[in-house]
Amino acid sequence: MAFVQFEDVSKVYRTGEVEVAAVRGMSLAIEQGEFVVVVGPSGAGKTTFLNILGGMDSPTTGRVLLDGKDISRASEKELTLYRRHDIGFVFQFYNLVPNLTAKENVELAAQICENPLDALEALALVGLEHRAQNFPAQLSGGEQQRVAIARALAKNPKLLLCDEPTGALDYETGKAILGLLQEMCAKTGKTVVMVTHNAAFCGIADRVIHVREGRADAVELNEHPLPASVLEW
Amino acid sequence: MKAAGKDIARTVRTSLGRFVAIAAIVALGTGFYAGLRATPDDMNTAADIYYDQSNLMDIRVVSTMGLTDADIDALAKVEGVARAEGAYEADVMTTIGSEQYAMRVHSLPGNGDDSLNRISLASGRWPSAPGECVISADRVMNKPVEEGEALHIDEGATNLEDVLARTDFTIVGFVHSPYYVTSASLGSTVLGSGELDQYMYILEEDFAADLPFTEAFVEVAGAKELRSGSEAYLDKVDEVARRIEAIAPEREQARLAEIKAEAQQTLDDERATYQKERADAEAKLADAEKQLNDSRAQLEDAEKELDSAQATITSSEAEIASGKSQLNSGKNQLSTQRAEAQEKFAEAESQLDAQQEKLEEGRAQAAAGREQLEQQRGALEQALAQKPQMQEQLSQVEGQLATPGLPEEMRAQLEATRDQLQEAIAQIDQSQAAFEAAEQQLLESERQLEAGAAQLEAGRQELANQKAQAEAQMEAAEKRLQSAEAQVRSGEQQLADGRSEYEDGKAQLADGQQKLAEGQAEYDAQKADAEAQFAEAEQKLADAQADIDALEPPEWLVMDRTKNVGVVSFESDAERIDNIAQLFPLIFFLVAALVALTTMTRMVEEDRTLIGTYKALGYSPAAISRKYLFYGAAASVVGSAIGIAILSFVLPWVVMEAYAIIYYVPLQGLSIIWPLALASGGVGIAITLAATWAALAATLREKPSALMLPRAPKAGKRILLERVRPIWRRLSFSWKVTFRNLLRYKKRFFMTVVGIGGCTALLLTGLGLHDAINDIIDKQFGPITGYSAIVDQDEDATEEAKQQEMEILAGPAVAAYTEAQSTSLLALGEDGTEVRTVLVVPQDSAAFGELWHLRTRTGQEPISLADSGCVLTEKAATLLGVQVGDSVTFAEQDQMGNASSTRVTVPLAAIAENYVGNYAFMTPAAYERAFGAAPSYRTAYVVLADPEADRTPFTEQLRDSGAVATVSYNDEVIDTYRSMLRSVDMVVVVLVVAAAALAFIVLYNLTNINITERVREIATLKVLGFTRHEVDSYIFREIVILSAIGAAVGLVMGVFLEGFVAVSAEVDAVMFGREIHLLSFAAAFVLTMVFTVLISLFMRRKLDGVNMVESLKSIE
Repeated sequence: MAFVQFEDVSKVYRTGEVEVAAVRGMSLAIEQGEFVVVVGPSGAGKTTFLNILGGMDSPTTGRVLLDGKDISRASEKELTLYRRHDIGFVFQFYNLVPNLTAKENVELAAQICENPLDALEALALVGLEHRAQNFPAQLSGGEQQRVAIARALAKNPKLLLCDEPTGALDYETGKAILGLLQEMCAKTGKTVVMVTHNAAFCGIADRVIHVREGRADAVELNEHPLPASVLEW
Repeated sequence: MKAAGKDIARTVRTSLGRFVAIAAIVALGTGFYAGLRATPDDMNTAADIYYDQSNLMDIRVVSTMGLTDADIDALAKVEGVARAEGAYEADVMTTIGSEQYAMRVHSLPGNGDDSLNRISLASGRWPSAPGECVISADRVMNKPVEEGEALHIDEGATNLEDVLARTDFTIVGFVHSPYYVTSASLGSTVLGSGELDQYMYILEEDFAADLPFTEAFVEVAGAKELRSGSEAYLDKVDEVARRIEAIAPEREQARLAEIKAEAQQTLDDERATYQKERADAEAKLADAEKQLNDSRAQLEDAEKELDSAQATITSSEAEIASGKSQLNSGKNQLSTQRAEAQEKFAEAESQLDAQQEKLEEGRAQAAAGREQLEQQRGALEQALAQKPQMQEQLSQVEGQLATPGLPEEMRAQLEATRDQLQEAIAQIDQSQAAFEAAEQQLLESERQLEAGAAQLEAGRQELANQKAQAEAQMEAAEKRLQSAEAQVRSGEQQLADGRSEYEDGKAQLADGQQKLAEGQAEYDAQKADAEAQFAEAEQKLADAQADIDALEPPEWLVMDRTKNVGVVSFESDAERIDNIAQLFPLIFFLVAALVALTTMTRMVEEDRTLIGTYKALGYSPAAISRKYLFYGAAASVVGSAIGIAILSFVLPWVVMEAYAIIYYVPLQGLSIIWPLALASGGVGIAITLAATWAALAATLREKPSALMLPRAPKAGKRILLERVRPIWRRLSFSWKVTFRNLLRYKKRFFMTVVGIGGCTALLLTGLGLHDAINDIIDKQFGPITGYSAIVDQDEDATEEAKQQEMEILAGPAVAAYTEAQSTSLLALGEDGTEVRTVLVVPQDSAAFGELWHLRTRTGQEPISLADSGCVLTEKAATLLGVQVGDSVTFAEQDQMGNASSTRVTVPLAAIAENYVGNYAFMTPAAYERAFGAAPSYRTAYVVLADPEADRTPFTEQLRDSGAVATVSYNDEVIDTYRSMLRSVDMVVVVLVVAAAALAFIVLYNLTNINITERVREIATLKVLGFTRHEVDSYIFREIVILSAIGAAVGLVMGVFLEGFVAVSAEVDAVMFGREIHLLSFAAAFVLTMVFTVLISLFMRRKLDGVNMVESLKSIE
């Protein structure tokens, strides 16, 4: 059994009379410790996939398993706990709490977990221990994203979910963040799932899942993923 | 422009929450302002309509000597007078059930529906026959009064007979009178406690027939068209009042002349009557004297007669005594005679008896002799018989012897036998002789015996004759004696009769003399009395003449509606609302401004990029701002329209409903007052626009390039608390965020603090007002005034009655009492303020202090009365503007309640806590020094032994004593304040609702802004796995803390607001409690927090609605 398993997952949104299937019969599997890039054009169902895997939404049909746990029929409460304990989320726009310092932002996540990393340790992991006392507004975009990654890591989640983590960043910084994610994956052995529209990132992944029209269109495994630093786009 | 309109419409739709928030707070602000400001106007309008409908008089004319038909005619002819009607009124004390009330009696307006001061029937029916009356339906009575109940008039302010034709009435209905629109105070009177308790209307004919009109009601032409109390109205009425005053002197003189003539006529009549009565009385006295003299003469005659009778009695007594002694001697003689006779007869009888006995003896001897004789005769006859034989024998013997020779022996023997025979014949002859002698003798003695017997018989006869003779003699003597005795007896009887007659006569005489003495005394007394009466009557007549001569012309008092207690207090209550209306909406407007500011700021911030784009496209700031200004304008216009439309009716309605407890002014004529509405709406809109502009200004100043970029997130700031590491470190992230956020958004902070503060302040005001009025009851009755009843003595009470009253007061029903003088005075302020003050002069200050705890309010230090000055209660001191050390001027009140010219100034020694009424206290010494007269203690302050007990028997007992004019109980006063409290409770409800609305709008807006602004943050937290509860507390903790701060600030604001409202709402006679209770503080705070929690619970749905997907969205 794979670490993450989507079994014929569909998600239908209903707006009035119109039903729109964002995901239809998606099946895929991700192994533990993999760095996974989910790639696809806009509207392919990436976000829905992310929502479902992140416990922010439940599938209309099908099963979703993480580490053997079925979350597709979980209640709102169970999903909250799932997000809380199993998922680390890295947003495109970092979503740091502006009124908390970098360290506090990490603590924000850490303090609700059962087995968190130390906030400063997490910041050290992303190389930002020296900015621990800074407010987000005092940090650059890349630094903010690093704090966000530290925040996600501090929860000690089973899965690190990243939504276009470089989307708001410049090229170099983006690359650095990708590198960081790759490094974290390697260093901590966390499974990292990154959703992006940028196919250029496929090279750095252990597993690339192409999503199109609500389905996992193709899955490719890289025997030797490239380091992010060599990536060009 | 069409596009712009669509844009606005769409913006409104997408941001309905904030649109509603602005509209709502503007609605509240403008509505409250317009509604509250309109309330006084609406009240006055309603009053005006009511007054017009009921033809309430514009002017009331009272003359000190009453008004005549001629006066009424003269009034009616005054230019500008539409009509004038005469009416009667009188103040009386009445008893309904067992309760006593001071009432004003009015004559029922005569002309039915069209009459002035038309009263309306609330229940029951109109009086149709003499002796029926209607009373106020609005006054709360001590005991419920039913239709058909009897009403008795006990006493009047003036002589009842002069005023009323009867004193017993039946209540047949209950009415509302425009003349008394308030039931809180009907006015003052000289009777009872000085306050009217009720009024009643009776038929004109129930007033005394020759009573002149006591007042005239005047309708001013054209005054109805003007609003009562308005300048125009007052001017119009004043003009006519002046004209009336102008004719007054003439009418007063006419009335004086009339009264003088009338009085002179009456006096002359009286004098004539007096003279006649005097003549009569004198004639009577003379008669009496004559009668007395007659009786005296009669008595003297009688006395003489009695004296002669006495003499007669004495002589008769002597006569009778001699008669009696004669009689007695006669009796004695007779009895002696009788005894002698009896003795004599007895002797004679015994002699006779002895003779008889002898005779009997002789007879017996004779009988025995005869017997012997007979026997002898027998023997003799035998012997005689034998004699021949013997003779023969002898002859023989002789013969024989003769024969001589016989032997001698035979001769001897024949001689012995011849001797023997001779002897025997001798013997027989002898015996015969003896016998014949004895027989002779016996015959002799028998003859003698017969003669003795005859003699005895004759003696006996003689004795019997003698006896009969003596007997007859004695009988006659006896008879004589008896008749003499009868004579004596009858004489005695006559004497006894005469004596008793004499005694009777004597008693009669004594009686007559006694009567005469009494008659004389009476006559003397009557004569003295009559003379005194004559003197008095003459004095009176002289006085009356002097009075008539000295008669001053009557004084006309021309009073407009401003002298009507009800009208004035209604107007002044309306004005009070106006005062309150000035301040209250301020809070709402302030909050409206802040709500608009924060909302628009948020909106502008959200549209930042858009504004940048417009700017970059070359739109002028004006064009760009147009949308926001339109938005703000739309929200505020909608808000003001709704708010004003609703609250312009609701608030006046609520306030008047609240006032309906003490006013009978039907709610009518409610309308939107356009100037107010426009002004209020204008202010609301202007505030919103100003806030919008303020929100826009900063953004519009920025360069388009800067605007096109997402606004740099506001830098988190370190706050002071962070310096306190130990605390800060212990705080969880959400607390940290909360604390930082609190200070980050200053506008919101102020909006919330002011808004919530306002909410709390309103709550505290409401609760505080409740406290304030509750305190009137709780602090006044018990802690300050310890007595439960006031007993006022009748001025004319007799000493005996007073004694009886004192006995009742000393009885078991009373725990304690103290006597005092209690006078209603006017205290005068330097600025002309007049405060009706009751001056209490306790006889014994120490005892009084037990019943009336004089103390300062702040510090609660006891005050003891001193001779150096007076103690004034706090409200009076405040109204007069005097402080300890100043002096207070008192003036006596005249009949109309105006200050007379008698003035007394007393230093103010202390100011005492007091809530109900205005009082001044002085020691007897201080009073005497100030007023120049000793106080007369006619008021008793009484503590009942059992305040719960039925007090009716006590009241009746006191009233029966004849010394007591009125007995009033504190609980009646307490009831009045309880009803006031109910009207305040209405206001409290309004305030609580307003407070809740305020809290809701502010918190809704705050939460709304916080949530929309932090949607990303919230979504992120949710994605991070925060539970619902954690997310809620993350957001609401801030709101709760802000609310708490706001509430705390609001408590401070509330203290001032409550103080302001309390002082504005206070009437002169009452001081509200000055302290808001801790519980009210707590309640206001807790209630605010409850609102906060409720709103939080309500807003939670919005928070739940924040989609986690928001976290994935790009920053706009």
